[in-house]
Amino acid sequence: MAAPMSSVAKPSAERSPFNTTSFQKKTRSKLISIPGTRPSVQNGQLLVSTGVTSLDYLLGGGLAVGTVLLIEEDRYDSYSRMILKYFLAEGVVCRHELFVAAAQDNPDDILQELPAPILDDVAIHKPVEQPRLSCEAQNSLDAMKIAWRYQNLPKVQSALASSSRFGHYYDVSKTMEPEIRQAAKCHRFYPTEHPTQSSPTHSTMPESYSALLKSLQEVIHREGFDVAAPMSKSRNILRIGLHSLGSALWGDDLCCHDNPRNGHALTTFLYGLRALLRSSLSVAVVTVPSHLIQDRALMGSVTRLCDNAIALESFKGSERETNPLYKDYHGLLHVRQVPHLNCLASKLPDHKDLAFKLKRKQFSIERMHLPPDLSETVSRVSRGELAGAVMVASGCGSGTSGNKHLDF
Amino acid sequence: MLPELLQGIDAGGFLIIQDSASYSGRHLLKSFINSALDREEAVHVLGFEVSEEELKDGLKGSPIQRLHFHNAYTDPLGWTDHPAFTVHQFCLEELTRLVKQTSHPKPATLVIDSLSWILRHLSPPDVCKTLQQFRKGGAVRAIIGLLHADMHQSGTVGSVCHLATSVITVVPVVKGDKAVAKITKRSKSGKVMQDEEIFSIKDDFTVIVQGKPSQHGPKQADPKEQETDPTANLTFNLRLSDTEREAKEKLALPFVFSKEKKTALLHSGPGSGRILYEPDANDDYDQEDPDDDLDV
Amino acid sequence: MYTELNSILNTSPDSFTQGEFVLLSDRKSDASFLIHHFLSLYLRARCKVWFLGLVQSFNHYSAISQRLGVSLVQAKEKGQLVFLEGLNESLSVLIPQETDTRSQAMGFLSDPAVGLKSLYEFVRSSVTSSGGGEEEADGAEEWGPPVLLVDDISVLLSLGVSVGAVLDFSHYCRATVCSQLQGNVVMLVRCDGEEEEDDGDDEGSERLLKGLTHQCSLTLHVQGLPTGFCRDIHGQVEVCWRRRQGDWQYTQKKLFQYKVHDKGASFFAPGTSSAVL
Repeated sequence: MAAPMSSVAKPSAERSPFNTTSFQKKTRSKLISIPGTRPSVQNGQLLVSTGVTSLDYLLGGGLAVGTVLLIEEDRYDSYSRMILKYFLAEGVVCRHELFVAAAQDNPDDILQELPAPILDDVAIHKPVEQPRLSCEAQNSLDAMKIAWRYQNLPKVQSALASSSRFGHYYDVSKTMEPEIRQAAKCHRFYPTEHPTQSSPTHSTMPESYSALLKSLQEVIHREGFDVAAPMSKSRNILRIGLHSLGSALWGDDLCCHDNPRNGHALTTFLYGLRALLRSSLSVAVVTVPSHLIQDRALMGSVTRLCDNAIALESFKGSERETNPLYKDYHGLLHVRQVPHLNCLASKLPDHKDLAFKLKRKQFSIERMHLPPDLSETVSRVSRGELAGAVMVASGCGSGTSGNKHLDF
Repeated sequence: MLPELLQGIDAGGFLIIQDSASYSGRHLLKSFINSALDREEAVHVLGFEVSEEELKDGLKGSPIQRLHFHNAYTDPLGWTDHPAFTVHQFCLEELTRLVKQTSHPKPATLVIDSLSWILRHLSPPDVCKTLQQFRKGGAVRAIIGLLHADMHQSGTVGSVCHLATSVITVVPVVKGDKAVAKITKRSKSGKVMQDEEIFSIKDDFTVIVQGKPSQHGPKQADPKEQETDPTANLTFNLRLSDTEREAKEKLALPFVFSKEKKTALLHSGPGSGRILYEPDANDDYDQEDPDDDLDV
Repeated sequence: MYTELNSILNTSPDSFTQGEFVLLSDRKSDASFLIHHFLSLYLRARCKVWFLGLVQSFNHYSAISQRLGVSLVQAKEKGQLVFLEGLNESLSVLIPQETDTRSQAMGFLSDPAVGLKSLYEFVRSSVTSSGGGEEEADGAEEWGPPVLLVDDISVLLSLGVSVGAVLDFSHYCRATVCSQLQGNVVMLVRCDGEEEEDDGDDEGSERLLKGLTHQCSLTLHVQGLPTGFCRDIHGQVEVCWRRRQGDWQYTQKKLFQYKVHDKGASFFAPGTSSAVL
């Protein structure tokens, strides 16, 4: 195949994944070692995996403990729900505790749908080592005979991945065996099971939100996830998955009206959630049906109250489904916000044109590129369209438009 | 027209200075205060947005003893114990009391800094009513108010400005510290005068009018395009004068053939060789259209 | 503290203008790196600092200040820094327990309609009380003029407080800290979306930004690059002085591009990034 010229511009740290092993970051003894976590290279923050390797990479190595990942749902909530399940499944495999809240389905249903971990790496109970890539074997296999000059160039890797492995892979077609699932301790919150007790002080939040906050706080206190809790017990991580917050089933009218009556309920809840998370060993993934929310400014403040924010845009049902440019992908992924936590400079993604696809064994996020042109007869017209579409896509990715002048 | 307004507003007048976040009208307001003080008038300032020190900061040279500052800045809502003047006291009786506190032979001018503060807390109809009654009441000679137009609905701005005899809207000029004042003045006879002037304000709050913004609109629209004309300020010559062009057109370039020479080359005369070809059936003829992948 | 920004603003820990109200704002970008500049600047200038951290935990600010060479923990122990951790305080209001005492400062959360008087009371009582104690000089260190920092004030809108109430709060803070005590106020406001020309009837961050702009004496407005995302230049910041000071003009504007590093930020004139030169 063609020489992988496009990846020459990658940063050098990424270029040589093999020689990182001799150098080890000085570990601070202060950090608590918990299975399924690792400290961030950038700011020493404790990270957990989302269960999707490429998403971890995109978020700067993983989700920092104490933060919220906001996922703006795709139109049919199929992929956002999938990521939520990955996140929970990763928790089960790492023996973290789970907290699942959903209004649409019973949280138990979500738990039963968790994807099965791929068993060749079911070294589940051990802390995740960093398995080295078997570079020698790879080298002898792929040794180039003719175009040997290209040998030293890095492989084109459009799927985003970091050099060391963190997290597990899952098989979407199978569900997790009940034994593994039941080994993990799980707390559930289903609004219909929680009778609304009238508390007149909460005029701003619907009952379900304040009940959810309360139940979260109880779990955190009871199970000792507070940072301030005594260190005697072995510590663990609480993974919180909140499904479709802001939908009508939570008693919120955000999606139903242009000028919702309790327009600040969701943001107030998220503020409280952030307050809870920052003082505990827990990490949350929240999905929000943003396409139903009419008020864009509100979505902006929701985003700012979460730490990470990504948006999924599925091609299902849009005209992009049939566009040849996107035939390799299932949807686009927009990074709305990267966290600024304990550091000034956040890790900005090198690329803003990202797309995702769901394969049987992997949900992967890739840099979007045009598919190689293999067909004999190519219609010129569609090429023109493609070029146009790429322009549009990159315009969207960069966030601002209007290239009237140059900045430098 | 700005200087005339500064010279003094008619008795019973009501002037509004409208500004926006991009250019503050307070400096112009201070110029009005300054010129009123110079005319030996008493000025009452109802200050919501600046402190007394800040207001008097630039006015040192003027006879400041005739400036009466009513402090609504420190505690306009009565959150602390000793409010001097709260926004809810903005009514006819209180205003009259304020102005009558000091005796002065000449009628006073009331300066409100700013109306926006009041409009944020009281309903616009009440504010309009109070302003109109106070103006008619004769307690003051004139009222000058600052209004941040971008803070309110256009209807509110419109109805307050409807009461005013003169409205000055200040807009910044793209470059420099100058600004444009759009002035609308209604006289008692119902005559309306409109004007636009570029002005700047000096350190001692004197206003200098620097002419009218002639065809200002289009100039302001794209100043960048004008600035970045690449052929404008070159150290070498890119343009041709007429004589230069003539000379240029006369020049015969190499390898450019005249018409005669071209036709001579194309249609060679008798005596030269020609290829004649008639295709016949046995010819090796390519069935395929060589251009069929062109797909135009 | 970013030295380049200091020279732009003509300040230093030894000399800075008193009585200033600095407004930091952003649109489609993140201006929170500027709040750390002012926090470390005023701590180094030996001012007494009140910090209303409404969006992040104390650890966050502390970790960043550590990188900028200032220890918040020490400053807190010395009594130089008073830190209100909004997130922590809010929990007792959002999830009321029978036993514990409700936070007064964040009391507005239970009923945002009443306004921010309680929050202002918190600021005023602590600012003025310590001012009195300072003069007694009972062995404690002497601190310079008081400084109030708010990060970020627009989150109050998300918690249901109206724009008018926030403007009242900022007005009172300015009247107390800037005018009465000759201290400084720095507030961060974050906007989303495009700048739009509307009638000003929306209860949004846009109107808050305009209202605060009318109040403040110096604005630093951060934006993304109009031409899009770039790795070497994170955006541009527009500095605008709105008050006449000395021989300066009224509204003087300057535009800079910036890049945030691990331990600071660099500012440069447009087009002079080290990446393109």
